[in-house]
Amino acid sequence: MLRSLALIPHLVGIYVRTRMEYRGAMLLAWLSQAFSYAAMYAAIAIIIFRFETLGGWAWPEMALLLAFHLLAYSLGAALSFVQFRDIEEKVRLGTFDAILVKPVGPWLFIAFSGLNIGYGGHIILALGLMIWSLTQVSADWTMLTALYFLAALISAAMLTAALMTMIGATALVWVRSRHLFSIFFGFWELARYPLNIFPLPLQVLMITFAPLGFLAFIPTAVALGKPVPLLGDWAGPASLAIGPLFVLIAMAHWRHCLRNYQGAGG
Amino acid sequence: MLPIISADGVGKTFRQLKRQSGFSGAVRSLFSRDYSEIRAVDGVSFAIGAGEAVGYLGPNGAGKSTMIKMMTGILTPSAGALSVLGREPHTHRMTNAAEIGVVFGQRSQLWWDLPVRDSYDLNRHIYDIPEARFADNLAYLTAMLDMASFLDRPVRQLSLGQRMRAEIAMALLHDPKILFLDEPTIGLDVVAKDAVRKFLAEINRERGTTIILTTHDLVDIEEICPRLIMVDEGKLLFDGELKRLRASLGSRRRLTLEFATDPGPLVLTTATLSADEGAAKHFVLEDETVSLIDVLNEVGRGHGLKDVKLDEPDIEEVIRTFYQNKPSLAGAAP
Amino acid sequence: MRLSAYPAFTTTAFQARLAYRNQVWASVFGELVATFAYIAIWTAAFAGASSVAGVSLPDMITYVLLAGSLLNWRTDRLINELGESVRTGDVTVFLLKPFQYPGFLAANHFGQYAFDQIVITLPVAIIVALTVGLLPPASLFHGLMFLPYAALSWLILFCLACLAGLLAFWLLTVFALEWFLRGIMALCSGAIVPLWFMPSQLAAALGYLPFAWVSYYPSAVYLGKLDAGQSWTHLGIGLVWLVALGSFLAWLWARARHRLVVQGG
Repeated sequence: MLRSLALIPHLVGIYVRTRMEYRGAMLLAWLSQAFSYAAMYAAIAIIIFRFETLGGWAWPEMALLLAFHLLAYSLGAALSFVQFRDIEEKVRLGTFDAILVKPVGPWLFIAFSGLNIGYGGHIILALGLMIWSLTQVSADWTMLTALYFLAALISAAMLTAALMTMIGATALVWVRSRHLFSIFFGFWELARYPLNIFPLPLQVLMITFAPLGFLAFIPTAVALGKPVPLLGDWAGPASLAIGPLFVLIAMAHWRHCLRNYQGAGG
Repeated sequence: MLPIISADGVGKTFRQLKRQSGFSGAVRSLFSRDYSEIRAVDGVSFAIGAGEAVGYLGPNGAGKSTMIKMMTGILTPSAGALSVLGREPHTHRMTNAAEIGVVFGQRSQLWWDLPVRDSYDLNRHIYDIPEARFADNLAYLTAMLDMASFLDRPVRQLSLGQRMRAEIAMALLHDPKILFLDEPTIGLDVVAKDAVRKFLAEINRERGTTIILTTHDLVDIEEICPRLIMVDEGKLLFDGELKRLRASLGSRRRLTLEFATDPGPLVLTTATLSADEGAAKHFVLEDETVSLIDVLNEVGRGHGLKDVKLDEPDIEEVIRTFYQNKPSLAGAAP
Repeated sequence: MRLSAYPAFTTTAFQARLAYRNQVWASVFGELVATFAYIAIWTAAFAGASSVAGVSLPDMITYVLLAGSLLNWRTDRLINELGESVRTGDVTVFLLKPFQYPGFLAANHFGQYAFDQIVITLPVAIIVALTVGLLPPASLFHGLMFLPYAALSWLILFCLACLAGLLAFWLLTVFALEWFLRGIMALCSGAIVPLWFMPSQLAAALGYLPFAWVSYYPSAVYLGKLDAGQSWTHLGIGLVWLVALGSFLAWLWARARHRLVVQGG
């Protein structure tokens, strides 16, 4: 275990060096993605300026929600999205086999040997928006709120990485997993709006089977002292427990899929 | 001697999707699909001792790669018992991985955009190789495989032959007890193939590394592996020395003699006539010990011999012959 | 090369997509969720008001399907395909074939588009129509006028995506170009927020840029927000934009092709 942890800097290092071979393209990618998200947020801002609030959320509050959504997602996805989306291809090309013949945990190897520094643009935009919105929202923050906010952010990032791991792992057994990623991103888009504007069945779905309600809305609402539908007072503790809980589920699922790995066949 | 690899009735079955053709087939497959079972490996048993070099031979789809994947712990056998270095490879995948080296001919384990040396350095950490040991091995492998000129070049700039040498060296840096190679010479030119073969034979002889390689190139076996395991359609066809296979098949080299004019009927004791086109005559050399010189001496001068062509049986032909003779050979296999 | 080959590219593209059944179901589901999300957003925004700036909630629900799903199709496949093939130089293979590469691209991606509309948007539209309701065109004139607008919209977006893909030849990155276009379309085409709801100066500026012809103008015509005179005028301006974009694309394509052929990539 300790040896595995000591390996992490070397895995990350080699990937960063690979990306640095194309640093121009990467900087352009940072810029383009931050631009694209900013444009999307501008569209949402226009709606709120025109209609004053969205489901009881004013623009600075909404901005905090969007920033939390983007930051928690980026932190989790940097560790997982591209790496686990490509498992499908790794299986098809047989490069996944090459990972399995190394004396290292395959999850650790995949996650860290592809630790995606491409999310730099997301993170800079999210941090900027978050700092601005925190100065605008009228909430008297205590040390405890701040600690909660930070812990919930980590929990939400863990949730993201866990879900990506679970989806990617299914490619080991079912060969394809892209369609599950499209479903993930369907719910992920909903996750940046106040949950209370959606019909009840969707709300239930967003805190159970597709728990992306915890990615941003629930923690932000708790931190701002806004009501959370269905969960009420349980929202705070639940949002802290969800990340570790899904990490455990994802670990079991990952092991199960590894045991049933079929290779590309033949 | 206790075998370091033993397979006892090992089998592997895959489920494969049946694709339906045409537009209506595509629409139908939106709602239902059929699967068929493929037996990639079927009841294979063998034992390999430390220090052996074994060629695992068969045509495409014969189940060679699947067997390698089971021995390296990538896949779980669906039947039988498999033991590598005294362990079940799949359940002890990581421990097993530390003691074996694996080279895949068609998929690189090197980091494409970085110098070869960077990939090696990462492996030093992954396999926890002591610094001094690593330096010794790297120096030895660099010299043996003539890699000094490209060790600091990005992998994407290497030729296929250079890349394959770099892959093999990478798999040996941690002193594995067994080296598995899946099609190590595929796609290489003659010179590169030769270099790889010489090196593998050397490492087996000098360092005692056990070598298991899959191939469909018979020359790989001839130059590296005294022992041959032949499979087709998942089943073991032959396990033994290459020489014995040839002998039991009656060698079956084919000889064509071309004359300036038809010399008339020609009967030889060293070769059997298989087809007569007049000026061109085709023979089969049944006896392994008969050389081309022997035949030519027997033909003698005076017939206006213009050209001579001797064909070694290629692997497809060996397997074809093997099939034709299967009943009689079944008893010959151990 | 007979012209009949191009429809064949379209059918093949359509058929190829059908082969990925899980992807089809996931896309329908994803589109359904996204559509209801936008409907929920507008419902929440209107908060019971019957009309804002002369626009009603049913107007906006219809607008979501028109501007978002029907007109603002996903260009990532096209940009990646074209971008990667010019960046790597693989496009030269197509130059040897007996058909026009741009024609092939258009035929192929029209097949993909038709697939998305018939298999994904149509079921979603039916479900929306049955549950929350969709509006018919404001009048027969607006309904008929919508057709040339829709064709214009498709061609303009096709040109924009091809421009982004072709630029990869000089900028050596497809990824960033795709994201830039995605950002521009999200805001400037009116796919999410119609120009009615934008601050007036922004709306005025965006109203003259070609992006608005992709989502905003066709939807506005359908909903009858433009009268007959305005409809004709804007159709004319849109055509001018199409010609301008098409010419620029042709010029850029000629330059890229020249460099590919002369320098071998």
